[in-house]
Amino acid sequence: MSAYVLRRIGTSIIVLIGISIFTYLLLHAVFPSPARVALGLRATDAAVAAWNKQNGYDRPVLVQYLSYMNNLLHGNLGYSYAENQTVAALFQERLARSIYLSGISLLLAILIALPLGIFQAVRRNSLGDNIGTSLAFILYSMPSFFLGLILIQVFALSFPILGFEASQSTNIWVVIGDWHDMLLPILTLTLLTVANFSRYMRSSSIDVLAQDYIKVARAKGLPERLVLARHMVRNASLPMITLIGLFIPALLAGNLIIETLFNYQGLGLLFFTSLGKEDYPVLLAYTLVGAVFVVLGNFVADIALTVADPRIRLA
Amino acid sequence: MTRTATKRFAGLALAVAGITALAACSSSSSSSGSSTTTTTPGVTTQPGSIGGIPAAGTPSGTAGSITYGYLSADAPNWILPIIPAADNSVYNSFVFGWQLYRPTWFPWNGASPAVDAALSPVNAPTSSNGGKTFTMTIKPWKWSDGQTLSAKDMEFTIDVIKAAVKESPANWANYVPGYFPDTITSMSTPNAQTLVINMSKPVNPVWLQEDILDIGLMPAHAWAKASASGALLDYTNPANAKKIWDFLNAQAKSVSTYATNPLWQLVYGPYKLSAYNATTGSFTMVPNPNYSGPHATPESNFVGVPFTSDAATFNAVKSGSVDMVALPAEDNPQIPSLKSSGYDYYGLPAWGDYFAAYNFKDTTGDFDNIVNQLYFRQAMQHLEDQPGQIKAFLNGDGDPLSGPIGAYPQSPFLPANGKSILYPFSVSTAISMLKANGWTVTPNGTDTCAKPGTGAGECGAGIPAGTKLAFNLIYNAASPITQEVEDLASNAKAAGVNITLSASNFDFMIQNYIDPAAPANINKWAMMDFGGESFSTYPTSFGLFNTGGSGQIGDFSDPKADALINDSISSPNPSAVTNELSYLDTVEPVLWQPLRDHVYVWKTNISATTPAAFEDLTQYDPTPEFFYVTK
Repeated sequence: MSAYVLRRIGTSIIVLIGISIFTYLLLHAVFPSPARVALGLRATDAAVAAWNKQNGYDRPVLVQYLSYMNNLLHGNLGYSYAENQTVAALFQERLARSIYLSGISLLLAILIALPLGIFQAVRRNSLGDNIGTSLAFILYSMPSFFLGLILIQVFALSFPILGFEASQSTNIWVVIGDWHDMLLPILTLTLLTVANFSRYMRSSSIDVLAQDYIKVARAKGLPERLVLARHMVRNASLPMITLIGLFIPALLAGNLIIETLFNYQGLGLLFFTSLGKEDYPVLLAYTLVGAVFVVLGNFVADIALTVADPRIRLA
Repeated sequence: MTRTATKRFAGLALAVAGITALAACSSSSSSSGSSTTTTTPGVTTQPGSIGGIPAAGTPSGTAGSITYGYLSADAPNWILPIIPAADNSVYNSFVFGWQLYRPTWFPWNGASPAVDAALSPVNAPTSSNGGKTFTMTIKPWKWSDGQTLSAKDMEFTIDVIKAAVKESPANWANYVPGYFPDTITSMSTPNAQTLVINMSKPVNPVWLQEDILDIGLMPAHAWAKASASGALLDYTNPANAKKIWDFLNAQAKSVSTYATNPLWQLVYGPYKLSAYNATTGSFTMVPNPNYSGPHATPESNFVGVPFTSDAATFNAVKSGSVDMVALPAEDNPQIPSLKSSGYDYYGLPAWGDYFAAYNFKDTTGDFDNIVNQLYFRQAMQHLEDQPGQIKAFLNGDGDPLSGPIGAYPQSPFLPANGKSILYPFSVSTAISMLKANGWTVTPNGTDTCAKPGTGAGECGAGIPAGTKLAFNLIYNAASPITQEVEDLASNAKAAGVNITLSASNFDFMIQNYIDPAAPANINKWAMMDFGGESFSTYPTSFGLFNTGGSGQIGDFSDPKADALINDSISSPNPSAVTNELSYLDTVEPVLWQPLRDHVYVWKTNISATTPAAFEDLTQYDPTPEFFYVTK
């Protein structure tokens, strides 16, 4: 196990270096320097040259990259010339907000979708299953922006019982406690994720229910409750572990549209804004942090799989 | 000088370093082509505007708070009056900085793009010595610490600017090498309130006043130091000025300390900053009790509220949670319903222009030679259906444009030929012009040059027989630009002008399809449309249409235009810029497109001691010190 973990860490570092090189080169291939965007249409050549020198864009790309990586290894993510703040400060201000919004939605979605999927599988083709399937399809096919707008119109504008925007506090504890303003964005994300997860869980459960070991368990007289609890749930949940692992990067950015709609300053919105401003340091840092989340999500999912299914051996 | 409005203006954005009102009762009226002023009881409207403005009122009772919305991407993040090019935006200057440090000459007077003397801490400059000496009188306004605003403050500000641009030309947005402050030969302060500036070459006084030197002043008695606890330095020594610039610049980059740094608490504008949130970009300003200019009494707090999107902005309006905000353009059709939500509105084109640029160096298909023909550019303008586009794509909320500035807001420099459309939409006229100049016109096909040559009735220099009128137009794929260029291409097709449209985005375009920025791509585009640009209120096209100008897009070059533009910036003749505008109106350096109304909505319980305060909003130039809450 420890050898496996060490190997995974090693490969993860290689993957991250590869992503950093690819992202850096790609960004600089499209725009060698963001000076014209940063300085405006009427920037003089002298101003462009001076700005490039000031921000290091006058050097060869390889030198720029090595300098960037050197700073990165010293914990310096760079300075956002568009926001006049260090990238670390920008991330620090927003990371907890994004993780809370995505995390609580993910947690609620898991708590709802797993039982729902199992229920639908066990009561396959029943009225309840059909209703659940219909709702899932409706939500699954609905753009998050549209669902959010509907919820705002109904619960914040037509019947103003909830806030039309998310909490504006920058204190994460205040945000967490502000259910009046946070409920709608959380609900929007949760519903969309439930629609996704429940379909996977239903499908996975149906597959497991058709397995021989379930038939054997039933044939030997095990009560249905125990059949489901002991033999079905655990096995049907295996694909969900992988799926949830893949959702972990969403903690970073998956809620961009929700942040945009609900006036919530998070990392996804920061990335989107930075794209428009050609804010390279933020874009690079965001991509790298996103890559870390992806690697981490897969890693956690793999470990979790071995715990859930002892037949899987990590070597 | 271009100021960044939002990506939307230039893309609409003028969405860069390229834009976007309601009263106690009025009904909406389309502005397109409007030229009359209407008045209903308690409400006035201006020509070219939509909505109405409440009459002046008098506050009573206690002061309130006025919340002012903007997009979070535009949230202010620069506080020092010397604004670097990378931080130059209307939100950093007009909305934020100018509340603390009013510009030397406040550039808007309600709906009029002209200096508002009452809001300006410096009297209009007088020029002498052939336009090379300027004498300025600083009003004895008070700093918030009780000191008097003086000529030393202005001298100090200019000396620090000199140090800043010496360090990097990008350190001051208004800087063009070879012009101010490079041209300063000496400065003197004959008395506490008078500053005399001598220059090496003549400068037009209005250009200096409204474009170059419209900056906030800095306190020499408090900021002339190299560290927070350092002693005051002789800022006239360039080495000291550099140290001061380095210190102030570093302090300005610490955005999280804006509300707590003692430096920024020393102001002479109508407000002091009491809170600033670096994460959200929100801020709260409280009245500066020592403010010497006009304001409502009592004066309300000014609170900046950012919104992450247009949708979030409109939701805030529908829920009644913001006092005043620019209405997202796509929500203009919703204006009638906002009355029931408790909002009034007023809209006027934001100062600037919209256009599609020609590439005068694109040799593909001899386009450079074609576009050099004035008749071609005039014919193209005849194919631009501005009234139709305003009606179809702008909800009727816009005004036609036929030159660098529109008829509204009405500039004192507007030439006579700028008051109407010189080349109105007419496909048949365009066809006639092309035929009259040697082209075989094939409606819905492609026109070809049948009579090459430079004589009357011939295609023009460098255009061989058989040359086709077919070229590309790269556009910023944003609304309403997409619809406008598609409409143009459709109308052009009817005249046999074959325009191939190619979608792009603002950032990519200004990096790759502007000749000075990307000369290697010179033959990859014939026309491009990224949106438009904003101007200072002195509407010279210096930089944009003069040969070699730093803001040139497609290398338009015309010796007469160059001479007129040079006059505008160096001649003391007050009508020089009018002459420039008049000429540019006729030669069509770009294809002009409709101006879009910048519509502001505000709660019906907001009033102002002067109607101009509502008009100022439409120009990104809020004067919140005049607003008050009525109930």
